[in-house]
Amino acid sequence: MQELVLIQPGRTAEKEFAQEAAAAALRREFEERLTECGPLAYRVARGLLRNSADAEDVAQEALLRAYRGFERLRDRSRFRAWLVRIAFRLAIDRARSSKRREVRETLWSQSAPRPSTEDLAATSEFQKHLDRAMEELPEKHRLVLLLAAMQGHSLEEVAEMLGLPMGTVKSRLFFARKQLAEKLRCHRK
Amino acid sequence: MPSKMKTCEDHRTALTDAAAAAVQPSLELRLHLDACASCRAAFAEEMQLFAAIDTGLHATANAKVPSSLFPRVRAQLNERPVPGRTWAPAFAAIGIIATLVVAIVFVHGHRRAGAESNLQTNTATRDPAPTEIPDALAPAVALSRTQAAKREPDHRRLVTSGNQVERVFVLIPAGQKRAVDALLAGLRNGGAKADVLVAEHSEQLSQDTQLSPLTISPIEIKPLAIVSEESAPEKDKTNR
Repeated sequence: MQELVLIQPGRTAEKEFAQEAAAAALRREFEERLTECGPLAYRVARGLLRNSADAEDVAQEALLRAYRGFERLRDRSRFRAWLVRIAFRLAIDRARSSKRREVRETLWSQSAPRPSTEDLAATSEFQKHLDRAMEELPEKHRLVLLLAAMQGHSLEEVAEMLGLPMGTVKSRLFFARKQLAEKLRCHRK
Repeated sequence: MPSKMKTCEDHRTALTDAAAAAVQPSLELRLHLDACASCRAAFAEEMQLFAAIDTGLHATANAKVPSSLFPRVRAQLNERPVPGRTWAPAFAAIGIIATLVVAIVFVHGHRRAGAESNLQTNTATRDPAPTEIPDALAPAVALSRTQAAKREPDHRRLVTSGNQVERVFVLIPAGQKRAVDALLAGLRNGGAKADVLVAEHSEQLSQDTQLSPLTISPIEIKPLAIVSEESAPEKDKTNR
């Protein structure tokens, strides 16, 4: 015996079409943000991890997560700040896990992973010390330093991105720079 | 009153702070720098150090974005389905929590019902109906429910430590009822302290309680004169 199923082809197609259109619009809007804010995610990750490959992975993951949650983001103008926070958190997690991995690997092999050519070119003696000193800074200070050092970011923008008062950003920047100077004073030429 | 003269050491801190904040030194500091060559040199060194830090930070913060990043992200976006507000995880979580709650309530209720039924069967098997025991011999005594549930079949325990009470029947000799009542009142009030009073429940006692009521045969009454006549010769014998 055959079963009869009642379907409404018109309504189903309409619904699917609306869904597809919404998804396409969402994707277009995200693509615009991706081009604009993608480098920011990468640079935040790179500044914290000091490794291009890891930074790329983290940036990719941050952008994908941002896309997944993009529809729920009410205020789209806050996308940059949101993305920075995602990238920052992911980079911190990555840095912590790679530290643990490094400890494990050094037990088995003394040879450390080789840095990429780009990393080698960017690393001078002072830069190495600076990176090490940066690592010792509190994470919130590090993020402010990085964002303030990025091209085209004023302190007001940094404050807006992090959702902090201007005074807090200034004081964090001041103490971070001072701490760096204290650590690097013995290494200057 | 003239202000205390600041030394070079005092100015050094202010110099470092000015360099760290990347702001122009104060007027007082500038005047000191004009006058003090060593502080001027120290300030120049500090400025150099911060310039080096800024250069390093700039290099780190503005690293060239690899060209492979965007194609990778786009490929991932094409692979993954369109994000949507999915309620499935929320519903799953709510379902799991609801199931757990129902299971806990069911298990708890089941245990409680089991305990109550056990208690009922125990009391039914162990305790005879109150009507079988004469009132004079069996005053009702309130006892702990939990302790009563754990009672051994051959003993009857009188427990006064718990708050939950249950009626348990204890046989007490009629003459000692008042004393036992006083003791129980003391235990309830907390005047007397005792956890458990155990009374042996002998088989003899239970058999006694099942005996038929005492029957008294009718007494034969004789006239006094006959009694005196019958007893007179015996009196005479003893007198003699």
